[in-house]
Amino acid sequence: MTMVARRRAPGVRKGAPHPLRTEAVRGFAPFAGAVVLVTLGVMLGSRAKRWQGDWGATAAQVHSALLIILPLGAAAGCWQGGRERRRRTEELWGTAVRPPLVRFLAAALPLTAWVTAGYLVAVAAALLATGPYALGGRPHLGLLPGDAVALASAALAGQVAGRVLPTRLAAPLLAVAGYAGLGVATMGSSGHGSPLSPVFPVGDDQLPVWWQPVAMAVWTGGVALAAVLAYAARRRTAALLPLAAAVAAGALLVRTGEGLLHPDPLSRHQVCDTSTTPAVCVNARYAKLLPQVKAAVAGITGKLEGVRNLPVRWADRPGGFHPDEAQLPMVTPVGWALVRGRLTDPREFAWEAAAGLGRHAECEEPRVMELDELVRHYLAPRPYESYIDGLDAHGSRAQRAELRKRVAARAHLASMSGTERRAWLSAYFATAGSCDVTGVPQL
Amino acid sequence: MNGLVLYARSRALPLTLAALAGTTAFAVWSAGRLDSYLDPDRRVPVVALAPLLASAVIGTSLYTASAELDRTAVRPWWPRRLAQLALLTALAAALLPLAVLGHTETFGPPAMIRNTLGCTGFTALAAALLGARLSWLPAFAYVSAVYMGGHGAHGRAATVWAWPMQPGAERGAWVAAVTLFALGAALYAAVGARPEGPRA
Repeated sequence: MTMVARRRAPGVRKGAPHPLRTEAVRGFAPFAGAVVLVTLGVMLGSRAKRWQGDWGATAAQVHSALLIILPLGAAAGCWQGGRERRRRTEELWGTAVRPPLVRFLAAALPLTAWVTAGYLVAVAAALLATGPYALGGRPHLGLLPGDAVALASAALAGQVAGRVLPTRLAAPLLAVAGYAGLGVATMGSSGHGSPLSPVFPVGDDQLPVWWQPVAMAVWTGGVALAAVLAYAARRRTAALLPLAAAVAAGALLVRTGEGLLHPDPLSRHQVCDTSTTPAVCVNARYAKLLPQVKAAVAGITGKLEGVRNLPVRWADRPGGFHPDEAQLPMVTPVGWALVRGRLTDPREFAWEAAAGLGRHAECEEPRVMELDELVRHYLAPRPYESYIDGLDAHGSRAQRAELRKRVAARAHLASMSGTERRAWLSAYFATAGSCDVTGVPQL
Repeated sequence: MNGLVLYARSRALPLTLAALAGTTAFAVWSAGRLDSYLDPDRRVPVVALAPLLASAVIGTSLYTASAELDRTAVRPWWPRRLAQLALLTALAAALLPLAVLGHTETFGPPAMIRNTLGCTGFTALAAALLGARLSWLPAFAYVSAVYMGGHGAHGRAATVWAWPMQPGAERGAWVAAVTLFALGAALYAAVGARPEGPRA
């Protein structure tokens, strides 16, 4: 008899689903996650050239995106927090047997999870988009835990604000205040932001110290948790504990300051091809760029065979190069000379590489500049050089005379025998690092 | 009280006017701190954010607490809706440029007026499709994404999709903003804000 009584009628479900599940799959929470995902998608997609193919730039880009995603997450939380007021179900909730903190978290956690998931999915998509074009190194994931906790904290704190502020403008006001406040905290009035800002600026070739994500998570999470406990806990003094942890983590971040970031160790290394003279070295962060660079400067190295006094190598080091090295043209930040793992203009790159060989950067004597221009023209003529010559041809008398002299010198250098030219070029490269070019024979 | 005053009260227009005045004051204050006399590009945050906040204020004022009752009225609603949206937009477009006087070719009054039109149109569209009280969200998401992503975007297409970040003299951005406003105003005037049920 008991067995019969317990049997359910066909089609009747096994009791109500858990409130967390209902909150997670219905209502505003999935929509908020989608908004974060689409916003990041539009932002990252519209400037894909600036990060795709560089792990460091990708990490810096998704980190700086928090500048808009944090206020948006807080505003979404604020909207969710005002839900009971809009539905006029506050009194009804007051009759529930669950304590206020549980009731709050049942509505708050799903939205927090969706907003954070939207961010993480966008980050994963950005990493997948960078993968096929990456030229070296590994994905930079060091900032991600701190960033994700900061976003979750913003959404959680926003929901407390939504419960407390009884106005329909609370959410957009919170968003604007968030944009302005984060902007000021991140950039500062003098360009130096606070290390407490979750969006503190990070360079493409910088990594955080290992404990920075932990400290940032405790700082942002502690403040949000303190707000939640102060609003909904049975014993509000419990808020002091996370607040104390947040203050300690914040103090640690402020005291460390610029020491929170250090240069990517990989950027100190070079990857070289020594089969040519000069040898070709690229930064280890872009190791797979070496074949493209070598192909771009192949014309130059071919013309320099047998020439003496050349730099030992082209190098790409942060913070200067050795006296016997020539600076390789800069390819970073990505988005200009280097886009999606390809050199955008190999001829322009070669011209800049040729310009680096002369090492007369600080000389302004006309004779030195003429010689530099002549050698650059011989080694790697610039794509639009003929355009400049055309302008001079239709210019003033002095410009036309200058052009005639230039063309004659080019023709002279081109008509020399191989041995003569090598000797002349050797004399030219012997003047590297000095502005005294009297030892170079007149053409 | 006549119908007009009742209508204004039902749409919380006194509060909306106060919020627009507050937005203007905030814009003037922040533009004054940006030190943009020599470099008008520094005004971009104000030119992007102030119209966004004004459009959120206008969008939330489109909410009606008695949507079902309104639909039983004999008189057509569209002239009132259109007048409310147009007057509030005109007021915002007249007030906000006070924050960024001068530099009309780059980020001055024309750019502010264009962004006010575009953001309000976007918000009115969202009010018709999503509901008035949440109408601020799509415009916030789009403008902030373009604010971060549209810096340095070039080309004819960028002048259209990155309209909030363009200098005041850019024709494509004006076309985009005016089109958004026309679409938003037309849709909102025609169908009103989407009715928000008890589960909103």
